Amino acid sequence: MFAVRTVVWAALYLFFVLAPLFALLAGRLPPARDFWTEFSVAIGYSGLAMMGLQFGLTARFRYVTEPWGEDVLYHFHRQISLIAVGLVVVHAVIMLAARPDLFVLPGSLGDVPWGAVFAFVALFSLIALVVTALWRAELGIRYETWHLAHIVLAVVAVTGGLLHMVGWAFYLTDPWKRALWIALTIFWIGLLLYVRVVKPVFMLRRPYRVAEVRKERGDSTTLVMEPDGHPGFRFRPGQFGWLTVWASPFKITGHPFSFCSSAEAADGCVAMTIRNLGDFTNAIPKVQVGQRVYLDGPYGAFTIGNPADMHVLIAGGIGITPMMSMIRTLADRGDGRPVTLLYGSRDWESITFREELEALKARLSLTVVHVLADPPAGWTGEQGRITAEVFRRHLAPPHADHEYFICGPGVMMDAIEKALGELHVPMAKYHSERYSFV
Amino acid sequence: MRRLFANRVAYATGAIVILMAVLFALSRVAS
Repeated sequence: MFAVRTVVWAALYLFFVLAPLFALLAGRLPPARDFWTEFSVAIGYSGLAMMGLQFGLTARFRYVTEPWGEDVLYHFHRQISLIAVGLVVVHAVIMLAARPDLFVLPGSLGDVPWGAVFAFVALFSLIALVVTALWRAELGIRYETWHLAHIVLAVVAVTGGLLHMVGWAFYLTDPWKRALWIALTIFWIGLLLYVRVVKPVFMLRRPYRVAEVRKERGDSTTLVMEPDGHPGFRFRPGQFGWLTVWASPFKITGHPFSFCSSAEAADGCVAMTIRNLGDFTNAIPKVQVGQRVYLDGPYGAFTIGNPADMHVLIAGGIGITPMMSMIRTLADRGDGRPVTLLYGSRDWESITFREELEALKARLSLTVVHVLADPPAGWTGEQGRITAEVFRRHLAPPHADHEYFICGPGVMMDAIEKALGELHVPMAKYHSERYSFV
Repeated sequence: MRRLFANRVAYATGAIVILMAVLFALSRVAS
């Protein structure tokens, strides 16, 4: 099912990239130029369509994100953007090689055709987009500043690309072809407006209030939030939402966090546990009870739902939060299936939810295996990292029969995916979520 | 692993787009 839906979406994506390109071949056509010029133009148009569709990949449409998982879709967004920008850059390089006459500057800068000016605007915006996205941390750019710049640069790049095409007007002399590409660009930017304007309007009408602020082990804080004047939403355990604190939902300040509360809560209350990672999160402990916040959600495909003999939950650090939602939900549902939690933490004192996990063992068939990087003296449990050996010691074979959920830092996730491969667990049997996907 | 799958989809998409661009150019030059 996963494969079918992903193939359908990939085919639709290709259709939206290629159909507008081949539509240029319909109707009246200007005389053809040499192969390289025509090839260069084709990858230029395709590159622009791919850049435009980037707005769709990040528009938080549940139908689009569900078969992939939001973290994978953002990963695809990054990978495909490199290809799209590569196509646009190669378009420019081929044009420079094949038609150097087009790049000769006229006597006055005012005489440069505007179609050419916008080519440079689009190209340099795209390069700035990629450089700031790939090396944001190295450049010392704050996440919020980068996010705003990312959106502005993307709109400038796509609009600049369209104006370059219209200004050059080689293939867009037919009014309907021009209208098609203008409509496409408006549609792409409309997807951005949907996320940044339409959705915030809905969020503004459905605010939440912080009902409780709870200090947790591991330098973490739990915010319990209750719907203010509306019934709230239903979520599935393991899903996440975008949280906006101290700002209106129109500001680009939302951050994704997993829900850690039970999906069975009848009052619409949701909880998020947030670890202080030294950025926006270091202000979370200062949130006051009664504070108005906004939630956009639920999102994510990382959720229990498939029947399985045993759920195996593998958490690293604050990656425990979606697992807590699953465990609390299973307990509330009186689910009798065995659950094994492999939980990697730095040390014994920093294990978030340590006491509650012990208490939950009385309410469901839960086994908790703590794996400590820095164990205390006399520790007889697992230490170091979660490896294939740890799986073999604590999980009954055949390992491919269990259903695995993994959430934690990227390095840990890579190691665990490798370990599951060693145990011949098929991809369809495990679900992963990287919590630092943006 | 899903990220690896997403990588492959991205690379395959790029390859198909380039192939289609070649076809686009060939169809223009041949006409």
